[in-house]
Amino acid sequence: MKAYLDNNATTRMAPEVLEAMMPFLTGKYGNPSSFHSFGSEVMDAVERARESVAALIGAERDEIFFTSGGTESDNTALRGACAINPLRPGLVVTDVEHPAVLRTAEMMESEGTPVRFAPSLKDGSLDLDTLFGMITEEVGLVSVMTANNETGAVYPVREIAEVARSRGVLVHTDAVQAAGKIVIDVGDTGVDLLSLSAHKFHGPKGVGVLFVRRGLQLPPLITGGHQEGGMRAGTYNAAGIAGMGKAAELAQEHLSGGPEHMMELSSRLERGILDSCPGSRVVAADVSRLPNTVTVLFRGVESEAVMTLLDMEGICVSSGSACSTGESSPSHVLTAMGIGPRDAGTAIRFSLSRYTAGSEVDCLLEVLPGMIDKLRKISPYAD
Amino acid sequence: MTEGCSETDMWKYSSTLMDHFMNPRNSGQLPDPDGRSEVGSDQCGDAMTLDIQVDDRDRIVDIRFMTFGCAGAIAAASALTELARGRTLEEALTITNDQIIEYLGGMPEEKYHCSVMGHEALEGAIGDFRKKRERVRRHLEQVLENMPAQLKEDLGGEVPAVVNVHPSRVTLRSSAGDGDAAESLGRLLEGKVGRRVEVTLLR
Repeated sequence: MKAYLDNNATTRMAPEVLEAMMPFLTGKYGNPSSFHSFGSEVMDAVERARESVAALIGAERDEIFFTSGGTESDNTALRGACAINPLRPGLVVTDVEHPAVLRTAEMMESEGTPVRFAPSLKDGSLDLDTLFGMITEEVGLVSVMTANNETGAVYPVREIAEVARSRGVLVHTDAVQAAGKIVIDVGDTGVDLLSLSAHKFHGPKGVGVLFVRRGLQLPPLITGGHQEGGMRAGTYNAAGIAGMGKAAELAQEHLSGGPEHMMELSSRLERGILDSCPGSRVVAADVSRLPNTVTVLFRGVESEAVMTLLDMEGICVSSGSACSTGESSPSHVLTAMGIGPRDAGTAIRFSLSRYTAGSEVDCLLEVLPGMIDKLRKISPYAD
Repeated sequence: MTEGCSETDMWKYSSTLMDHFMNPRNSGQLPDPDGRSEVGSDQCGDAMTLDIQVDDRDRIVDIRFMTFGCAGAIAAASALTELARGRTLEEALTITNDQIIEYLGGMPEEKYHCSVMGHEALEGAIGDFRKKRERVRRHLEQVLENMPAQLKEDLGGEVPAVVNVHPSRVTLRSSAGDGDAAESLGRLLEGKVGRRVEVTLLR
């Protein structure tokens, strides 16, 4: 592999993270829930990790609950928050959420939960007027992602939370894609629930967090033992949790140093593509975006064909659609922005990390224009 | 989102398929095709144009494609043109998706649908060719039935027999007549069809 530009899919694990995990994959195999000190010293590591994650998002220790990842956190938040107040069973989500939220909302709707899907605007921002209009008396939870995984658009979670809270409605945000890239502060945004996933910020896969504001008690999604104060049953993933704690510490260090390096690289990448590939345009170009995400529509050139060529060069990216079964549909996010299937099918997402090297961006810019040109020459949609 | 390398690795494309993707045969468009089709899938957005040039014996002598689609779709279109080139229209219509897939040395099952579009495009281009030809034939019959007296006299006083009709040229046989008579028939036909149709007179 020559260039890994798919960091919104997953990131490389930081070496320090592996180091923090190793003891719990080897000698320190005790069960954190055990009474003996062989187990309780592992619990100490779990609690230290809890503190590190809390610090990353401006939360308190006892507001952090470990899960198996972002998807479980989202499921727990949506199902839990809609269950606790029978007078307010309703749910409002946006139509650009990650499938972990969107599919769950659809599933809940089929089970009888009143669900409303707030629309997006063409520029990639949310239609806030419509969204606010949906927050009625029967609604118990509003879920709006902090940043979009496909376009990188950052949504005004604080503004939405303010309106929702003033109407007595709980607020959840899926911050999986934002963590480690922009500062997240639950005190500032005022959300009640927030999902994180470790592997999106150089931690291990299979571990995540649900922040639950103090005083809010949600029913567990996974029942069993009394771990996590009864919020989430199941033996602690000690190594994963320790890794996530270390990843959170590193992310905070990185953020306090400023994301200039990442921003400089992604704007170099963006400019380089726009300059060398005529007919290309950046999605959500005019709204606030994550410093690491650039999604480009290459008019007339189907994205999977580009990905295949890039893959042969050892360059990893993602596309806005998957043409796999014949019933494949273009990205719901791009569709929500009013981008038709023909253009949505040309979307390539480039996503960087703090580890991305300038040489990786150069490597892409060296081969991409030729590929686009080659495919455009045999495309009926090139003009 | 299709998440990067892992997904593309999943499509275990054969080396033949990759060769057709990297070096597509017969891509492009013909300046004045005898038959053209444009097909597309609204669902996945794939699209394709196919141009054919057909000789007087119904044989596909040139074929060109343009494709908006994944590697599988591009390779399938390329393979289709190779299989169809040199065949008669009837023969070309018997080409199956399985033959395209076999020609490419196999294709991941989830990509089978990519080969369907090429077949549809071929049917469309052949249909277009036949429609154009029927139109010329219809107009030719009218022209021959309503020939001016002088022209008919030049042609030996009888209606020439139709030997061959093609969207851009017709061949007739008559006992008399010369290049001027053929030219006059051509002009009359052009007036009806709306574009140049060459007329050849055999004696």
